[in-house]
Amino acid sequence: MLKVEEYKHQAATCVRCSYCKFPDLNYIKSSRFSRQCPIDTRYRFNLYSAHGLLHSALAELDGKLEFTPKLMDALWHCTLCGGCDIRCKRNLDVEVLQVIETLRCRCVEQGKGPMPEHKMLADNVKKSHNIYGADHKERLNWMPEDVKPAQKADILYFVGDPSSYRHPEIAQATARLLSQAGVPFMVLADEWSSGHELFATGQLELAREMADHNIKAIKDSGAKKVITSDAECYKTLKADYPKILEKSTEDMPYSVLHITEYVDQLMKDGKLKFRRRVPMKVTYHDPCNLGRLAEPWYHWEPKYEPPNIAVGKTWRRGYNGVYEPPRNILKGIRGIELIEMQRVWDNAWCCGYGGGVGTAFPDFALWTAGERAEEARTTGAEAIVSCCPNCKDILGQAAEAKKTGMKVYDITEIMLRAIR
Amino acid sequence: MQIKEKLTKIVGAENVSDDPEVLLSYSKDCSLSAPRMPNYVARPKNTDEVHGVVRLANENGIPVVPASSGIHFYGNTIPNLGGIVLDLRRMNKILEVDLYNKMVRVEPGVTWGQLQSEAAKHKMMGLCPLLPHPLKSVLTSHLEREPMLIPKFEYAGSLVTMEAVLPEGEVFRTGSACVPGFPDKSMAEGVNPGGPGYLSYNWLIQGAQGTMGVVTWAKVKMAPRPKIDKTLFIPFESLEDAIQLVYNVQRRMIGEECLIINSVNLAAILTKKWPQDYNNLRRILTPWTVILVLGGGWRRPEEKIEYEEDGLREAAAELHIPALPTSLPGLPGIERELPGMLRTAWPEKKTYWKFADKGACQDVFFYTTLNRTPDFVQVMNQVAAENGYCIDDIGIYIQPMEYGRSCHFECSFPYNPDDTDEVAMIRNLYAEAAETAMDMGGYFSRPYGVVVDMVYDKAASYTTALKKVKQLLDPNNIMSPGRLCF
Amino acid sequence: MSIPREAYQTLQSIVGTEWVSDDPAICEADRYCSLSSPSEEKRRPGCSIEPVSTEEVQAIVKVANRYKLPFVVTSTYYSAGTYCRKDDSILIDLKRMNKLEIDEENLYAIVEPGVVFSALQADLFKRGLCTFVPGCGGHASVVANTVNMGDAPLGWRYGLGYQRLLGVEWVLPDGEMLKMGSLSMSKDYFWGEGPGPDLRGLLRGCAGHQSRMGIITKIGVKVFPFVSEELEPEGWAFRSFIKLPPNRFKWYNIRFYSREDAINAMFELGRCEIALVVMTVPPIFRGVARTRGVGCGGFWEFWKDAGPKLNPKQMDLRVLLYGIGSDKRLEYEEKVLLDIVKEYGGSPREAPCRDETNFMAADAICANVVGGRFSSEVSYESINQAVRYSKVVDKITDEHRPPILQEYNSTDWVCPYELGYIAKMECLRMASVEDNYALQEWKNDCQDACAKGGAYALVPDNKVFGPIWGNYPEKEDKIRAAFDPNHVSAPG
Ligand SMILES: Cc1cc2nc3c(=O)[nH]c(=O)nc-3n(C[C@H](O)[C@H](O)[C@H](O)COP(=O)(O)OP(=O)(O)OC[C@H]3O[C@@H](n4cnc5c(N)ncnc54)[C@H](O)[C@@H]3O)c2cc1C
Repeated sequence: MLKVEEYKHQAATCVRCSYCKFPDLNYIKSSRFSRQCPIDTRYRFNLYSAHGLLHSALAELDGKLEFTPKLMDALWHCTLCGGCDIRCKRNLDVEVLQVIETLRCRCVEQGKGPMPEHKMLADNVKKSHNIYGADHKERLNWMPEDVKPAQKADILYFVGDPSSYRHPEIAQATARLLSQAGVPFMVLADEWSSGHELFATGQLELAREMADHNIKAIKDSGAKKVITSDAECYKTLKADYPKILEKSTEDMPYSVLHITEYVDQLMKDGKLKFRRRVPMKVTYHDPCNLGRLAEPWYHWEPKYEPPNIAVGKTWRRGYNGVYEPPRNILKGIRGIELIEMQRVWDNAWCCGYGGGVGTAFPDFALWTAGERAEEARTTGAEAIVSCCPNCKDILGQAAEAKKTGMKVYDITEIMLRAIR
Repeated sequence: MQIKEKLTKIVGAENVSDDPEVLLSYSKDCSLSAPRMPNYVARPKNTDEVHGVVRLANENGIPVVPASSGIHFYGNTIPNLGGIVLDLRRMNKILEVDLYNKMVRVEPGVTWGQLQSEAAKHKMMGLCPLLPHPLKSVLTSHLEREPMLIPKFEYAGSLVTMEAVLPEGEVFRTGSACVPGFPDKSMAEGVNPGGPGYLSYNWLIQGAQGTMGVVTWAKVKMAPRPKIDKTLFIPFESLEDAIQLVYNVQRRMIGEECLIINSVNLAAILTKKWPQDYNNLRRILTPWTVILVLGGGWRRPEEKIEYEEDGLREAAAELHIPALPTSLPGLPGIERELPGMLRTAWPEKKTYWKFADKGACQDVFFYTTLNRTPDFVQVMNQVAAENGYCIDDIGIYIQPMEYGRSCHFECSFPYNPDDTDEVAMIRNLYAEAAETAMDMGGYFSRPYGVVVDMVYDKAASYTTALKKVKQLLDPNNIMSPGRLCF
Repeated sequence: MSIPREAYQTLQSIVGTEWVSDDPAICEADRYCSLSSPSEEKRRPGCSIEPVSTEEVQAIVKVANRYKLPFVVTSTYYSAGTYCRKDDSILIDLKRMNKLEIDEENLYAIVEPGVVFSALQADLFKRGLCTFVPGCGGHASVVANTVNMGDAPLGWRYGLGYQRLLGVEWVLPDGEMLKMGSLSMSKDYFWGEGPGPDLRGLLRGCAGHQSRMGIITKIGVKVFPFVSEELEPEGWAFRSFIKLPPNRFKWYNIRFYSREDAINAMFELGRCEIALVVMTVPPIFRGVARTRGVGCGGFWEFWKDAGPKLNPKQMDLRVLLYGIGSDKRLEYEEKVLLDIVKEYGGSPREAPCRDETNFMAADAICANVVGGRFSSEVSYESINQAVRYSKVVDKITDEHRPPILQEYNSTDWVCPYELGYIAKMECLRMASVEDNYALQEWKNDCQDACAKGGAYALVPDNKVFGPIWGNYPEKEDKIRAAFDPNHVSAPG
């Protein structure tokens, strides 16, 4: 959450050029898929866009605007996909996404937000350490019998709520993959929710509890590297935890790798080869949290020199995300033909699930995913591959709803097929 | 004081007339429009005098009809409601040759021949319509938006700025010519047509046929004159094929002058000895010819022609066009003569090409897109045949505009003006041809004669808006009343 | 005060309740557009509405007239200077109107206001055609830009916005429909003027009406023949570009050691009718370009050293050669260019064969990175006026800094269009967000100097220029009163 002066400065620096609504213009391939921001594309009013929200933030701060029903609607429909943020930072120095997140926090502080469904998540987390309110004792039920995690290892697999409870196939594929590759790994005996959605929905106190618990658990485990198969967990462990602790990623007691980064490295080191053919035409969906939002966090105490120099600040402009490893992997599997969609890498269109939207506004999440499914369909691929359980979930629903005939896989499932 | 005396005070006795014999010559033109006598003719020599006459007319509610050329084809200088014809031919100075900006500032009486010989001294040329009459005013060619032979310029901008005496007597300069001190003491050089402010008066005055004001000078674009030329006459049996070549060539932005013309018109243009050459040429020319002039630029002209020729060959090869002749059968040397011909007025000593065959000619012209021209040819033939007009006598000229985005389609019906039956038939044919073309989507952007009412009936919303503008600029409707929808 | 209930309900029934809102947040977000003048008060609209068709637009405008409610229209809302100046205004946002048709053979597109340049361009590239993006960016509306401004460096060959307008469908301020050009008589958009006097003259002058003359709902807009291969993007994040086929395109940066030489070379390029882009490059652009991805701090780190070293006598020209239709044409153009450069003593340097800011993307807004805000003095007149007037602007600027930031007068540029028949001059000046007001004061002084020197200004201040420019504001007022009897189209 930005401090008030900084919040105001950032919001005021926006010139409402509307670039926040578009992919990198050089990469627009058709008028049909020429937008970036889901709320803008669906709801059209300028309030439903980064510049609209930044302007609202200023007005709210100045006491000219309250959290009206539409402001609530726009603010909470935002998937926090960060397209706006990095597009703006192509040209300017504005922390677009942080202003939106801070506006959410202010909304929560004033008792107006988040949405009831988000409060339910918090209740669940308080009750059972996961957002679904499922039995904490069952958290490791997904673990297949043929996999035996190590008691002590350098590598720790952080599973996250969705793969633990809703998409065990991803956790299973990850675990089997690691074990078949001969990589000893641990899991936390007492993993709690990463708190991803709590961060996203401005419920920071509880989010911080999750962070404290998980960080301590990771530290206690003695692991050197934390691996996740979940893009949301990845970004949370890598960026949200240090952020809330007012630290930088590099100062955390662990380092985080997404499974695709790890496998990509193994492939490069010649330690892993995919031997089996997986004959399939696929297209790859970049999860926002693994792509443009996946950069390390750099703690910064606001300090400016005229005219607008942020002294000592490292900006996160979205180009250091994990874009290549998943593609390297897919290209490294015989039989896979990777056909890219129009909006890829930092221009990827959000799956629609993020920012608490999948929880509170499933219809809108499905609409957003439907746009992606349509885009995927134009590639002629048979399947969409992604790297995040929630992407898989919502894209799967959309692919079906849009009758694309396409399957949706997590990349771990594909890797497992290729290694077996 | 009588009006005549007042006029005399303004322009001098020798420049005012109410002599019926003089007036008679202003009462009619080469078109089928009904003659109407003016009450006076005044021949001002400068803006002040024009201003004086317009003010006088406005104060007294007398119609004023400006006329700049020495010949008129479309009835648009005939004083429908009488009044004063302002004959602007005495204002015939080339006020400025602006070589930096490749423009020239001309008064209304400057003719094409006059302009082109001045421009040539500076290695420039005016952007010219097809073989204008030697008495035709440069300024009115532009004001009337006559199509230019070179399709590579964006059309909307050839007339850049102007000075006009508005109907209520105000002397007004359009675009950036409005700055104080123009042209000698200003930073602006009068090259921006927009404004002043949020309106483009330039556009409102163009195409107005003298209903919005009297233009006293205009700054118009020129183009660098090619150092060398190469002319091609590409023969076609079918118009469809000719069009494909033009699309292909224009897409490559090759060449200077480019037009499609049928054998009747081409023969009329190139005939030296009437009538034997004419008949002979009509026989030996193919039905359609694409005339394309390749122009060597200011630098490395031979090399420019060379790559253009290559491009042209490529464009032709795509369409399996076997040959790209640079000459015409029976007309040795014409290829060297033609570029010069196309860059000036029709010679004074020769009968105007449109009149040479039968003494008069009625044109039907409109805009369309190239791909639709064959349909129009067919329908024009049909209408002509139904009216008993010999379709072999129809002249057709198709002028591609702006890289082939659209074209000016002009159908000419030569006729004998002394044969009353033929005149009646042509009158009917003209109306029917125009109406049919309009129904097919032919766009009459500058309507004349009987076409005017057809157009403004059809363009209802435009007509309403236009009348509002006219009412504001000319509340007493003194400027060319009875013309267009006013 | 608020919009009368009956009016609001009618608006709801026109567009459906989802697409009109008087929620204060919706309206607040529509209060400002980009770079709005700091001194003017901007009112929060009374409601915002999003029609999807011409019929809806017309109905909304009729409601506005019935209840005498002012309206302001936006397409993508990037414009400098349009906002509600009166209470209870209806903000009509046309983003949802985004239909697009292309006539491949006859080189035009029909677009609704929600279509942006990059989107149109992407569809054109696939057909071997092109348009080009204005400096503000490919994310500006084709309609709004073309009816208001429409300039970009490719205008060297393809002309300014007013020359690209074909048939126009226009809802006048009183809700009546006006169809212009070929559209006036048929459903075709292929030709723009007339019939008779050309009422596109009501649509825009040097610049457009900024919403004060109703709403354009559809236009035919010219597009141009282009290479047949699709242009592929490359590079990413802030370093993306599209690759240009090297057999057809070549960029040159040319340094001239005197300004006169550069200007004369520019005139000569016009006479030789070569190239697709010809413009002078303000040295500060290089700094801004290097700043991509390193922000304000990165810029000043570069500029602190580079700025003072600039040689004010030099002038750099940037030229894009284009072998329209053939490789050989490119070779020809290159030879001619190099002849001219040699004659005027310039040093040519070939630049990478790619494009960052003309075909797809453009980012004028990136100049804000220098301090947070910029303003610019712009004029469209001859190359000669550009040269003379920018000197005047430079002098005025020196009187305004600080707080105007030190750019060593290196942000002036000349960008001729139509092969040199007209040219844009732009002098950018920067300040921090907090010092925005200083830019306004500077601009006022520029306007005064412009009036005195007989230069032609873009968006003139009526009070300053009205009396010396043929009383044009009176004429505008008369026209507006006739077409907007209830004074509802963006009054104030
Ligand atoms: C930083 C910056 C740089 C710029 N650089 C350039 C440049 O290089 N070249 C250039 O040409 N322009 C430039 N402009 C100005 C340019 O005209 C506008 O910014 C741009 O076209 C606005 O586009 P928009 O699509 O966002 O339109 P909007 O902001 O939506 O509208 C622009 C104007 O048109 C009116 N309008 C919008 N839609 C309609 C409609 N359908 N009918 C009638 N009126 C309408 C609006 O009221 C407004 O006044 C620049 C502006 C900025 C802020």
